[in-house]
Amino acid sequence: MVKALTQEYTYKHPWERVTCAFWRKFSDPENKRMLPYIKEVQTLNQKLDPATGKLYTTQAITLHAPGPWFIHKIVGLDICECVELTVMDGRSRSVQLTSRNVSLQKFIEVEEKIQYDPHPDNPSGWTICRQETGFQIKPLLALSPVAEMVEQKCAEKCVQNSAKCREVMERICKFLEVESSGIAI
Amino acid sequence: MGILGKDKKGSPSSSTSPCANLRAAYHNCFNRWYSEKFVKGQWDKEDCVSEWRKYKACLSEHLEDKHLSRFLEADEGPLEPSIPVTDGKR
Repeated sequence: MVKALTQEYTYKHPWERVTCAFWRKFSDPENKRMLPYIKEVQTLNQKLDPATGKLYTTQAITLHAPGPWFIHKIVGLDICECVELTVMDGRSRSVQLTSRNVSLQKFIEVEEKIQYDPHPDNPSGWTICRQETGFQIKPLLALSPVAEMVEQKCAEKCVQNSAKCREVMERICKFLEVESSGIAI
Repeated sequence: MGILGKDKKGSPSSSTSPCANLRAAYHNCFNRWYSEKFVKGQWDKEDCVSEWRKYKACLSEHLEDKHLSRFLEADEGPLEPSIPVTDGKR
């Protein structure tokens, strides 16, 4: 019972700006109000490989995912810990990130892969974001009559959260654009 | 719940976490380095080393979750992440 969901989105901003926004989206206090389901983000590891221009980052993200009552009843928790690995390739201008839940794995496994690349139609001006989310209900939950509903809710939540995240990213990109044009003038 | 141990009465928010200030200092430094150097191809060295050390020392002390502390301990390991990120298929 594996479900996958793919989403694609174009930012009309260059890759450099979009990735700056990517790093800022969790640290700016104003975004915390827009992303209330993100409780905490910690950087566990960050390493630069100067020979290849690759930056490796491991982040831990605590999500508040209350969900419908029946999930809460089965799982007994509404907080989920995820680990996100990011590989930033400065040379080829590409970012790949993979996040996975490290808690609640008995019930559900979620894996999200996101990639930010220069847009093929306008490599110096636009950025394409491709996102693939896969989730798998584990046997413990699959036996339950609500398994289908849980899957449905997971998919809905995922789409909602991605939309909110994009909104935040767009806002930071705008801000960075104004900031950089201010310096240029 | 949450990543770090919380004070008894505090609600789990990032502002109350014991490493919040060190994290903010590191992230500010990192964001500056990223936008001013990394994206311009200056990736010969990392700035923010002292900020990172302080923040990491705090995390080592307060990180409660065992799932997560192994990522912290893996610091001296190889650069390649343990989860493959390049394969397009699941």
